[in-house]
Amino acid sequence: MKKNRFRILLTVLFLGLSLYFLYPTYKDHQFNQEISKLTNAQDSAAFFDKYSNDVLKARENRIKLGLDLQGGMYVIMEVDIAKLLSDLSKKQDDILKQALEATSEQVKTSDEDFVDLFETKLKEKGLSLKAYYGEIRDDDSKIKKDLKTEVENAIDRAIQVVRNRIDQYGVSEPVIQKKGSSRLVVELPGVSNVQEVRKLLQGTALLEFKLVIDPQIAIKVMEKINTYLAGGNLDSLVKADSLEKITKLDSLKKDTSKTTKTEIKKDSTSITSKKDTTKKDITKKDTSKKNVTKKDTLKQDSNLTGLTDSNGNPIDTNQQMSEEEFKKKNPWFYLIHPQQYKDGSVVWFVKETDKAKVLKILEKKEVQDIVPTDISFSFSNRSQFMDAGEKIYQFYILKKDPELTGGVVVNARSNIDPTSNSPVVYMEMNSDGSADWARITGANINKQIAIVLDNVVYSAPVVRNKITGGNSQIEGMANIQEAKLLEIVLKAGALPAPLSIIEERTVGPSLGEDSIQKGLYSSVIALILVALFMIVYYHFAGGVADLALIFNMLFVMGIMASFHATLTLPGIAALILTIGMAVDSNVLIYERIREELAGGKPLRTAIEIGYKKAFSAILDTHLTSLITAVILYQFGTGPIQGFALTLIIGLIANLFTAIIITRIIFDIMTDKGRTQINFG
Amino acid sequence: MQFFHNLHIDFLSKRKIFYVVSSVLIIIGLSVFFTKGITLGIDFAGGTELLVRFHDNIHIDDVRSAMDQTGIVGAEIKTMGSEKDILIRTAEPGEGTTVSDKIKDALSKNISGNSFEVLRIDKVGPKIGKELRVSAIYATLFSLIAILIYLAFRFEFLYALGAVLGLFHDVLITLGMIAIFHVIFPNLNLELNQGMVAAFLTLIGFSVNDTVIVFDRIRENIKLYKNEDIVSVMNKSINTTLSRTVITSGTVFLTIFILLLFGGEVNRTFAFTFTVGVVTGTYSSIYVASAFVVDMKMFQQKRKLKVPGKVAAYKA
Repeated sequence: MKKNRFRILLTVLFLGLSLYFLYPTYKDHQFNQEISKLTNAQDSAAFFDKYSNDVLKARENRIKLGLDLQGGMYVIMEVDIAKLLSDLSKKQDDILKQALEATSEQVKTSDEDFVDLFETKLKEKGLSLKAYYGEIRDDDSKIKKDLKTEVENAIDRAIQVVRNRIDQYGVSEPVIQKKGSSRLVVELPGVSNVQEVRKLLQGTALLEFKLVIDPQIAIKVMEKINTYLAGGNLDSLVKADSLEKITKLDSLKKDTSKTTKTEIKKDSTSITSKKDTTKKDITKKDTSKKNVTKKDTLKQDSNLTGLTDSNGNPIDTNQQMSEEEFKKKNPWFYLIHPQQYKDGSVVWFVKETDKAKVLKILEKKEVQDIVPTDISFSFSNRSQFMDAGEKIYQFYILKKDPELTGGVVVNARSNIDPTSNSPVVYMEMNSDGSADWARITGANINKQIAIVLDNVVYSAPVVRNKITGGNSQIEGMANIQEAKLLEIVLKAGALPAPLSIIEERTVGPSLGEDSIQKGLYSSVIALILVALFMIVYYHFAGGVADLALIFNMLFVMGIMASFHATLTLPGIAALILTIGMAVDSNVLIYERIREELAGGKPLRTAIEIGYKKAFSAILDTHLTSLITAVILYQFGTGPIQGFALTLIIGLIANLFTAIIITRIIFDIMTDKGRTQINFG
Repeated sequence: MQFFHNLHIDFLSKRKIFYVVSSVLIIIGLSVFFTKGITLGIDFAGGTELLVRFHDNIHIDDVRSAMDQTGIVGAEIKTMGSEKDILIRTAEPGEGTTVSDKIKDALSKNISGNSFEVLRIDKVGPKIGKELRVSAIYATLFSLIAILIYLAFRFEFLYALGAVLGLFHDVLITLGMIAIFHVIFPNLNLELNQGMVAAFLTLIGFSVNDTVIVFDRIRENIKLYKNEDIVSVMNKSINTTLSRTVITSGTVFLTIFILLLFGGEVNRTFAFTFTVGVVTGTYSSIYVASAFVVDMKMFQQKRKLKVPGKVAAYKA
């Protein structure tokens, strides 16, 4: 009895857990039905306003559907190593071209490393790697090692570029994975515009250096948008602009509830010429350091914003407007929170959930009409900090035309500055770029220049001095990871990692729906038929096995939901197969019990012996099936892995449901004095 | 209800007949396989494949002429399930996904008055195709070896060998059957793809179950009936486990057959392969795995009897 109590406890626990993990899937289904009922845009907007958190949460925790079921794109891309090596080479001649072509051809049918093969090809032509790569002092093995590292780095850059773009494109739950040393797997659920995505994935990364617009001008632009959105009088604002009324600053603080919790950290990076130990440039660096710390200490209580509301009156937060009121009067500043610092600079912040809204507003023609044509907007690459559990992004107002593009960057390297022990990134430019860079930095001292990759701002260092010679040093990053990321970004512009698509699978949404329906249909029929058979053949005991079967299905789905495993179409096939195989354990046990009963054993003993004797066979069958399922998981890709995984979970769950749950029922019955149980 | 009660069928005495039956089936199947071959799916062959659904029924010839006009010749075009769903597959080389774009253009330009929707696009580069082929073969071999090792631990090595022999038999028969069905019913659209490999591996796992259950009973019965010969112990074991074998194979067959009928095109190859596998897997546990063990045991016994004679001869 004690043993039974533990088993019952375990069963109830598993059942509870399964239901708990399956609840979001049920909730998600319910929401989807409600949403499909909503007909007009107003209703759905109201619905999302009310339930958006619940909907998102349910969606996040439901059973994930594979691309074959919900539609989407699956792409494997490979770094074009030949192109990369050609780009890296000191000179491009015919011999190099021939050697690269020959290597590309051979690598298709060989498992050897590209760089190794390339070296032998060059040797066949009587040349060594040294002819094209490395310094004169370097030996071949070092050059080869460096080239291999370059290939490895290229894939990291490619991942960064691709992730950056996909994030901007706004795909929910994308998967971006490195596979092997030169491949990249991208899964984009729900994407149907194949051409657009392909362009997104394969285009060369665009690195730009853009000037951050002067805060005073930025404020005016933002106010115009605010006035327009609030339905205010644009004419009066334009007039106000021309009279430069706006420049009159009042100290104010908006929406206290929002900002008090927020600890604002401005982008504190700065850019200087690269320190050469032979030159005594240290003093300059010291001043820049001091500057950084001064800014860091600025807290939000020193915020000064010179903003006017939609009626042209200065926003006065002392008035303590309610959130609703503020939202109504200042729809734009409700989305984009400004922070001003004592030195006059203004930083704009946007909550992650508001990013899409902001972009939508900026796309509006009417808004574009009132925004100066030489201005562009960008977000920061990552959230600067969290506020009340929400990620906050910085919003940049930039000069549209870039000062320089990334092509001039020759190299970038992140490091820890030995003198200050802080992370630093060195950037090197070619001679053309260096001349421009000197002019640009000279003209913009103490202003910010944003480093923009594919329209996302990765850093906006303040220029400390005129940088001649093309060697710059960027400092002020919080940690070495941040510096490393900046290095990747700078290199992405300098040395693009050319990607080619080697596998692409797209499933349209209607095929997925079709498949789900057919899969569900087959599963239900299979379940009913098998369950009926068990009752017909084993009578009462068959019903017990059916109960175990239902528990099995519940557990499999529950485990899949809890692991965030993906259900694929072959996965449904595995589920159906599990239905067929799950009753096997019970059949084995029941056949044994029947034998024992026929041999004249009393019920209790027969059950005991039946379970005991069947166990070794059950264990063997499950283990051999598990062996093949695990190997299949290793071998397969995407959907097939889904099949193997579902099968593995099904087999493990079955060991529990078929042996333990059925036993509980029989034990309770015999404990209560039953001497007859119908085994058919 | 009980299907088999107190059975005493002498399965193993007829084993020689079934050796012949199995061998003939394998030879026929494999000769069809090697002469006619079966279509390599996109996973292994590489190339571009589009599944499009037209609004109205469409004739394959219309699609073909539309394709020919743009210069994509030799594309394989067939219907999938209905006259509306058309599968187009070509090995046409092309950078990235230019081929699928070209096909879509060809369809929208040259077929008027019948709009279409792209259900699925697969593009697999030749390199990936080759890699998948190699890893499929490795996966199958690994499974067989892993099972051999596991069973060698759990039973005598001879039994493990018999079981794996049975698995080889199942894989070969199923492969042959697929080839034969592919020739007779081309509309089934059977092709060697990842789904089929999955079916083979699952079938290996399932088929060995039957064998393990018979062997498990043999192991038990050998201790119980020490005085009986191996053939009779084995027959007894097969008879007592027959009920379970038929029921389990029956339920699995039932479910997989439902999948074959209602599961749609994508799971068809898997379902078909496994349906054949369930039947041959059940059969092979008796007439290949058990039969092999019987013959090997008898061979060993004969040798044991002969050896003393030889020693005696030397002595003389």
